[in-house]
Amino acid sequence: MDHKNELKLQAALDGELSEAEAREVALWLARDQDAVLLQTELRNTRQALSGAQAPMMLPESREFFWSKIQREIAREEKPAAAEVKTSWFARWQRMLIPAGAIAALAIAVMVTIGPPAASSSADMAESSHNDAGAFTYHDYDAHATLVWLSYPAEDDLAEATPADTVQ
Amino acid sequence: MGAFEELVARHRDKIYARAFSMMRNEEAAVDLSQEAWVKGWQRLKQFQGEAGFATWMTRITINLCLDQLRRQKRHRSESLEAMDEESGGVERQMPVVMVNPTAGLERVELRQRIDQAMGQLSHEHRTVLVLHEFEEMEYKEIAKTMGCSIGTVMSRLFYARRKLAALLADLKKTDD
Repeated sequence: MDHKNELKLQAALDGELSEAEAREVALWLARDQDAVLLQTELRNTRQALSGAQAPMMLPESREFFWSKIQREIAREEKPAAAEVKTSWFARWQRMLIPAGAIAALAIAVMVTIGPPAASSSADMAESSHNDAGAFTYHDYDAHATLVWLSYPAEDDLAEATPADTVQ
Repeated sequence: MGAFEELVARHRDKIYARAFSMMRNEEAAVDLSQEAWVKGWQRLKQFQGEAGFATWMTRITINLCLDQLRRQKRHRSESLEAMDEESGGVERQMPVVMVNPTAGLERVELRQRIDQAMGQLSHEHRTVLVLHEFEEMEYKEIAKTMGCSIGTVMSRLFYARRKLAALLADLKKTDD
């Protein structure tokens, strides 16, 4: 009998097999006397153990045992309690340090960036297209482009003949 | 705290008995059961009443005992017998015990013999017997508690039972 089958016998006894596996073991037991003897031994041992726990009494008095537990609980809880009772100054210190750090960071950022720059002529561009009678103005800050169109073009007005004008 | 003291008074013997069954040493069992009660107090909020309070405390005790046994094991050398057990080698040398060695024994005598025989098992074998036979844990649960595979649990349990049967048979022979 190999070890795997021996463990199956045990598992069948302990109700740890599936129904199909349990049926397989039952068929095997019906034809193998050695398997029956082994399982009987396992069953006897299991039965001997059930309800065989000898009652035991803790060999210390109730008061003494409890006093040790109480002392240990108090000892474990002491460091936790000490952390809670911090001084007023320590509490303020804990608030001030991060606030100070944030303020220092803000100042550093402001110094790095500098004041907002005033609009420079470089941000604006003018161009004129005299031939077209148009004047273009780009404002890069405002992301805007303005185009003035004169109609008729000023040059054309100057050259206009009396025949072109309405009388 | 007064209610907890009452719980300690009510269940202290049972918790001590479980610790002793695993450690087989009175001083260690007292220390570990005390530690279990302290842990129980600290984790009282986690107790949700799914299992009985005694069962919950027993589990804490078992885990503490297992931790202690693992620490001790690091300092012990593994015997050849122990290493062989999982391959199924050692128990093949043990003949099947034909006659029930505990038949006809009075309860008190039976308990004494079981206790004597259990004391001669290794910690691993005794633990797996305690968890399966006394705590009625399934293989899967024992594997999780002991931190080993289900196959290892099955092998250890098989070996422990066979060894116990042989020890009980020897005790019966001695008496007869």
